[in-house]
Amino acid sequence: MNGQDYRLDAPEGLLIDRDRPVSFRFEGQYYHGYAGDTLASALAANGQLMLSRSFKYHRPRGPLTMAGLDCNSYVQVGDAPNVQADRLPITEGLTAAALNVKGSLRNDRDRWVEWIADFLPVGFYYKAFFRPRGIWNYWEGFIRRRAGLGTVDRTTPHDDYDKAYMFADVAVVGGGPAGLSAALQAAQAGGEVILIDENVLLGGSLTYARFGTDAAQGRKLAEDLAAQVAAQANITVLDRATCTGWFPDNWLAVIRGNRLIKLRAKQAVLASGSVEQPIVFRHNDLPGVMPGSAVQRLIRHYGVKPGTRAVVATGNDHGYGVALDLADAGIQVAGLVDLRTQPDATPLSEAVGAAGIAVRTGHTVWEAVPGPGKRCITGAVIDAIAGDGKVAGRGERIDCDLIITSVGYSPLGQLLCHCGGRLVYDEALASFVVTDPPAGTYVAGSANAVFDLDAVQADGRRAGWAAAMAAGLNAGAEPAAPGATGAEGINFPWPIFPHPQGKDFVDFDEDQTVRDVENAVADGFENIELVKRYTTVGMGPSQGRHSALNAVRLTARANGRGLPGAVVTTQRPPFKPESFGHLAGRGFEPVRHTAMHWRHLERGAEMMPAGLWLRPACYPGGLTREAAIAEESLAVRRGVGLIDVSTLGGLEVRGPDAAEFMNRMYTFAYVKQPEGRSRYVLMTDPTGAVVDDGVACRFNAQHFYVTATTGGVDAVYRTMLRWNAEWRLDVDVTNVTASYAGVNIAGPRSRQVLETLDCDVDLSAAAFPYMGVREGVLAGIPVRLLRVGFVGELGFELHCPAAYGEALWDLLMEAGAPFGIRPFGVEAQRMLRLEKGHIIIGQDTDGLTTPHEADMVWAIAKKKPFFVGKRSIEIQAQDRPLSRKLVGFTLPDGAPVPPECTLVIRGTEIVGRVTSAVRSPSLGRIVGLAYVHPDDAEPGKTFHIKLEDGKFIAATVAPLPFYDPDNKRQEM
Amino acid sequence: MALSAHSDPASLPRRSFAYRKLVAAGAGFEAVNGAATAMDFGDPEAESAVARRLGLADLSPLPRTGFKGAGTADWLAGQGLAVPDRSNRAQRQADGLLAARLAPGELLILGGLDGDAGPVDRLDRAWQDAPIPPETPRGFPVPRAHTNAWYRLSGSAAPAMFAKLCGVDLRTHKFTDLDIAQTQIARISGIIIRDDLGTGDAAVPAFHLVFDSASAAYLWDCLIDAMAEFDGGLVGLSALRAVSA
Repeated sequence: MNGQDYRLDAPEGLLIDRDRPVSFRFEGQYYHGYAGDTLASALAANGQLMLSRSFKYHRPRGPLTMAGLDCNSYVQVGDAPNVQADRLPITEGLTAAALNVKGSLRNDRDRWVEWIADFLPVGFYYKAFFRPRGIWNYWEGFIRRRAGLGTVDRTTPHDDYDKAYMFADVAVVGGGPAGLSAALQAAQAGGEVILIDENVLLGGSLTYARFGTDAAQGRKLAEDLAAQVAAQANITVLDRATCTGWFPDNWLAVIRGNRLIKLRAKQAVLASGSVEQPIVFRHNDLPGVMPGSAVQRLIRHYGVKPGTRAVVATGNDHGYGVALDLADAGIQVAGLVDLRTQPDATPLSEAVGAAGIAVRTGHTVWEAVPGPGKRCITGAVIDAIAGDGKVAGRGERIDCDLIITSVGYSPLGQLLCHCGGRLVYDEALASFVVTDPPAGTYVAGSANAVFDLDAVQADGRRAGWAAAMAAGLNAGAEPAAPGATGAEGINFPWPIFPHPQGKDFVDFDEDQTVRDVENAVADGFENIELVKRYTTVGMGPSQGRHSALNAVRLTARANGRGLPGAVVTTQRPPFKPESFGHLAGRGFEPVRHTAMHWRHLERGAEMMPAGLWLRPACYPGGLTREAAIAEESLAVRRGVGLIDVSTLGGLEVRGPDAAEFMNRMYTFAYVKQPEGRSRYVLMTDPTGAVVDDGVACRFNAQHFYVTATTGGVDAVYRTMLRWNAEWRLDVDVTNVTASYAGVNIAGPRSRQVLETLDCDVDLSAAAFPYMGVREGVLAGIPVRLLRVGFVGELGFELHCPAAYGEALWDLLMEAGAPFGIRPFGVEAQRMLRLEKGHIIIGQDTDGLTTPHEADMVWAIAKKKPFFVGKRSIEIQAQDRPLSRKLVGFTLPDGAPVPPECTLVIRGTEIVGRVTSAVRSPSLGRIVGLAYVHPDDAEPGKTFHIKLEDGKFIAATVAPLPFYDPDNKRQEM
Repeated sequence: MALSAHSDPASLPRRSFAYRKLVAAGAGFEAVNGAATAMDFGDPEAESAVARRLGLADLSPLPRTGFKGAGTADWLAGQGLAVPDRSNRAQRQADGLLAARLAPGELLILGGLDGDAGPVDRLDRAWQDAPIPPETPRGFPVPRAHTNAWYRLSGSAAPAMFAKLCGVDLRTHKFTDLDIAQTQIARISGIIIRDDLGTGDAAVPAFHLVFDSASAAYLWDCLIDAMAEFDGGLVGLSALRAVSA
């Protein structure tokens, strides 16, 4: 119907539903097809073989494999580039366009590139664009505008992709006769079998190829095997699924729709088949030239005959079957050209003879005759073979619109190469064969160089049985071994016929010809890996599936090393292109919320990340950020503020050896730390570098509650566990960071706020002094109370079980309202602590900072026999003069606030950097911390900071703390 | 036990880590174990069907505790607990508790769907009331009620849903009743315990999901998203009780 002049009658067209017509657009023109058609098959049914143009020379291209194994069929579909037209089901309203065209597919304005092909030899990039200096900058834009495949629409809305795990005793990749037999054999052992096949219909080559004079033999067998699989409850079939990666221990990446399946199989069978290889002759890339398996797929799967008059060129018996299929489909076979000089008579060759098809042995196609604009072919020039790659020069033209080739296959064993297998050239078979499959993997069928149909099934049963046994299943007696493989004579050993006028393509993806490969070797790139990189043979989306065999043959001949033992280039995942959407999958980006998180949002807090946590940076409330931070800090200095400190790390250290453990982990002394008191903790690593700090609260002789930095607690916890695995002290360490919500109520009025609430802890300065810790109940909420002074004011940290955190916040905000309580954020806290001269680990220290550099020797208990880092710190103190020192500094009025990491320069040397700096509203000046040269570290000395604009500013070293040097305010 | 109706979870000081998600989903609350607990989302009967297919319930308010360290297993056995004989196995207790052995010296104790805090409180009090230092090692309490949020996934589609979030094979014939997996779910650490609802042929596969309380909202969104493919939905405590009865 509707112009589908090349559509065949049923029973051809296994996959299409003739009762469901579908209309679609390609290159702006409307076409009709049937549900089940791919874009390529539907276009072929309408006589449109040309799908796109080639990457480099913009040559017309049509269907090559009809199996999604090439990029001839890449088209643009909406915002999706590089969609395979031979895999894309048509849907009503589908709109697609060709790739690599400027203008239209038919009248591509860039087809002139082919005319200058002689000036674009292999490696011309490397030869042409390096001189004169800077010329690449000119050419780059020009080339980039013409390079690439398809167009990316950066406004494309996010699509939904995800990932899922699956598990199997035996996974079988490939649903052809070998894969089906393997799956059935493994399933009979009772295990869980997953069968992965990328087609709609199980059966692989059985669904399209001809295995004898009975054209229906394959189809019947496919139906029988598929029915057996369907009846086997323990076989899960993943159809329309592609295995794109094979990783160690049989971790298989399988793409199905928008999902990436991460399949873990105890054992796995690769039965992925093989891909038919082209003959290399002039114009072998044009629409109308295709392998026999492609035309068989068009006929059997889609009921399409892609032309009316064909020449078949073959080097094996399969080509005779193809010729019969063409004849059955009503395509006139103008001649069968057999590259072999004396082929054996077979039932198929006899059938061809009986069909009246003229056979010319010892001949090849030497050249395809292009039609107008090379958009089709109008004939084939055949010639007698006069030796490997040579012809007699007696070319004879046969009119045709199809040249169908069948000269052998290459195993699709690339997946096994992802995890250690190899594809090695076997001269006897003139083919690559899979060798060294990794443990736990098996190869079967034509991927294993087995072609006889009975042997293929036996080979599948053998692989399935072996996999089941290795998976620990009782698979019974070993099945009979395969008989003759039928592999001999399948591959014609030298199907490469270089033409003096070129255009004899080895690689269709990258437009590489015989001459390109030979020139690469002549340029000194003799190894196939180097040939690949220099010429880009095999680097296109097809990854060498139809080019590697001939490229290796040509390279071996050109470098004189011969073919035996030659290997394909390194094969890496993915086996087929996969989208970034598949790799990204569903976006799992963990985020942690404190119990008060939503209260912060309700107050309009500006949130900031702190590791996985979100913390309020400040609460603008209509003010500028800077003004809000200043106001929050002044509220703490003058009244009372409340900050959420739930993200602070919390670790319980409990047990008879808890004090000894603390003594070893931290620099200070803890054995004699009184109960009910807290003490600063400073952790160094074995090199003596400062890695974390906090406070240790001792609740009883065997119990310390230790805080750690928000970003450091997980590492501290791991470090503690690791050390104690070595020390074997009787102590238990538990990370309770998420268990406790925490607030710091700080400011001169903080005690007043708390005293309005019912609390069983005496909050007076005498009963609960600075650095004291208590456990109690505040208005019904169990709390740990810590009198600490990070911000330099009277303050109480209250830690409560996390589920009470929001209630505690609500309680304090309500109780503090009469006192003008103000929540403050991380930015104000940083300002307040800087005024007080307290460092932040990770901001004012780096991975090399020592306690001496950070002026924190006061936190080291010198009489202890050991703590982690002690020896390194002592060596540094004795043997190595300091190269930098952390100091406080001030800047003159009117100076800008230097950003963190602004450099400190001494003479011409970089000696340090600013780590923190703020304009302090409390102090009315800029204060900060910086690493300076030790000779400049004395208070009153000056050093120079180089600002971002290159100007220098003199800073003055100031004693710390800047604020309340007598510590009266925090000890109220 | 359910005490009285509360429409606002914030009216009680102890709050579920996911209560804002529950409010947004239209949950009806009751106070259980001192916190508002989502009893239903408008149609408890329909939720029972959802629970059998794929349901997500927040059990964070329900009682739970944990102990770890040297002597833990023996001490708990001394308290009358039937301690699983190996790690990564759970055991149902006569008083409704579920004892999950996470390691030779670490157990997680989950309360029953009735919300009765008594059995859990009894263990916590027993530990607290013992002398310091103890006469024999007895491990240390872990504040599981606050360290961890607690969700319950139920229904026949739960394993398939988990396959999108977690790398452990949780299919019911591989991950049997009372098995435990300590793993990553949607890139955060968590404990999955299979504890089917009901018994016999009527049993419905169900999984406790115990994980970082600070990640409750994050994982809630991940689960809702992953469940959509299977027509999963929210279920209240009432539906779980009905299915388990």
